[in-house]
Amino acid sequence: MSKPVIKVKDLHKIYDGAVPVKAVNGIDLTITEGEFTALKGPSGCGKTTLLNMLGGLDAPTSGAIEVGGVDITKLSQNELIDFRLRNIGFVFQAYNLIPVLSATENVSFIMLLQNRPKEEREQRARQLLQSVGLTGKEDKRPGQLSGGQQQRVAVARALASKPQFVLADEPTANLDSESTANLLDIMLKLNKEEGMTFVFATHDDRVISKARRVVAVSDGKIVSDTTK
Amino acid sequence: MILKIAWRNIWRSKVRSFIVLTSIAIGIWAGLLIIGFSFGMNNERTAAAIGSTLGHSQVHSEAFLEEPTSAATIGDAEVVAALQDSLLSAPYVTGVSVRGVMMGMVSAPKSARGARMIAVDPESERENSTLPSTIIEGDFFETKTRNSVVIGAQLAEKLGVGLRKKVVLTFQDGEGNISRASFRITGIYRTLNSTWDELNIYIKRSDLKKTIGKDLVHELMVRYDETEGTEEKTAELAQMLPQGLQILSWKRNSPELGYADDMMGIMLVLVLGIIMMALLFGIVNNMLMAILERRRELGMLMAVGMNKRKLFVMILVETLMLGFVGGPIGIVLGDLSTRAMMGIGIDLTSKKEGLANLGVQSVIYPEIVPEYYIIVAIMVVLTALIAALYPAFKALKLNPVQAIRGE
Repeated sequence: MSKPVIKVKDLHKIYDGAVPVKAVNGIDLTITEGEFTALKGPSGCGKTTLLNMLGGLDAPTSGAIEVGGVDITKLSQNELIDFRLRNIGFVFQAYNLIPVLSATENVSFIMLLQNRPKEEREQRARQLLQSVGLTGKEDKRPGQLSGGQQQRVAVARALASKPQFVLADEPTANLDSESTANLLDIMLKLNKEEGMTFVFATHDDRVISKARRVVAVSDGKIVSDTTK
Repeated sequence: MILKIAWRNIWRSKVRSFIVLTSIAIGIWAGLLIIGFSFGMNNERTAAAIGSTLGHSQVHSEAFLEEPTSAATIGDAEVVAALQDSLLSAPYVTGVSVRGVMMGMVSAPKSARGARMIAVDPESERENSTLPSTIIEGDFFETKTRNSVVIGAQLAEKLGVGLRKKVVLTFQDGEGNISRASFRITGIYRTLNSTWDELNIYIKRSDLKKTIGKDLVHELMVRYDETEGTEEKTAELAQMLPQGLQILSWKRNSPELGYADDMMGIMLVLVLGIIMMALLFGIVNNMLMAILERRRELGMLMAVGMNKRKLFVMILVETLMLGFVGGPIGIVLGDLSTRAMMGIGIDLTSKKEGLANLGVQSVIYPEIVPEYYIIVAIMVVLTALIAALYPAFKALKLNPVQAIRGE
């Protein structure tokens, strides 16, 4: 049996305001190693908030999030930053690459933050770019790449730090069908061949159809959890 | 890679960075030019005053310094000669001129004015002072005329007299008796200092001795090999003096000149400070704009694990780089401009009279002051560092989730 990488227990997130909003309302969830899971739901259902909390980017109002045996809700800001650097890979909707760096440099930048040696950084960056099908594009800057290619660089960057899992927030929202299919194929391949765990927050049916586990979220609660 | 990112980020918004770099360069260029100009003007004035009138230092009796009466002499001829020899024995002393200095009155047929009479040995003055070279009419006691006087152009104008005219000098002798004698103007001088020219008249010591029957020596003007180290040399010479005598450097003999010299350094640092302050706001504005534009990117960096220290350093390096690029350009431009001006001078003929009152020529030749290049370089780095702080702290306060969303 695969070991759990994320364990969420009774998670709540309430945004204060004139009318407090319960974005996440008592979620229990376990993600195990090697999963390819989609958190689906309409806009405002709480899936992105849940994903941000899983990634330690947002703090829950109550509840516990255990990542690799560590309760990340108990970590300080600085500890969380370091924890994210070493354990979690992120893929964002808008790619968010550094425009002044080449594809290789964007990927190796994460490893630089981890203080890895230059040779290792460059070698792994090129290897990762190759695995996402960007051979020959290593020295191109984001502005010289298509949206799909940029998102593939973002996936390579997410994997560069050798994380326990990758969180992807609407990774295909800005991509056309062909680029989406390419990206999903690459992520599925990485999932199958390298056992990388992927968790998506998405309402894109193309992603949902490829996911092996689909967790439906509505009004901050899990309303269904199906594994294919 | 932080350096690479910082360097490339500078050129992301080429126009904006170009404007900031240009303003840094122009600010420093202007600052260095002002420094060169101010030093040129001040050094010229100081050199002229030392050369023509003050010398590097002067020996007086303490009584003379308290109240410059005719009776407050340095001593008799023997004492003066011994003192002169003693001063000349110092390796850096190039000359000593002996002078009698008396306050009195100069009367012309139409007018009379208070004046300071300086009794000199013409030969010695020619050797140790540039005053003889400032003669614009007549000569500096070259013709063997008894009771000849050399007066300033301003004073001659005020008295309504000219060359070869007679004036009557009234002054006290060593015993306090009033002496009067008629003198003929044989020379008119014009130094760079019109105030000096209006007050001081020169007579020969030999004429003074014949007029009052006694040689009065109130002042020894001492010249050094160079102005550098004047205070130290003067302090050393002070050890040689007998009791009751004092030697004061030109700075203390002419406090307004010394004050201007001391104040100039402070004023220039203030001017540079004001320039840097203007640059500071320009750099802060540039960096805040850059951070605002890169919110998503900075949010992403924080999300993926760039800690606050590294983020802070990245913005700091980027801001410093603006200074490191703009600073040297400004320093090189400032240096080249000052060197060019050193050859041709800055012509301020239209302000000639005002400048003459300050003891300065109408064409100013700027000077290179290397130590100020270091001061400017340090100030640029400090300015860039200070300018980096606010934008860097602003970046640290970004919430990664909101920043990534572009909120």
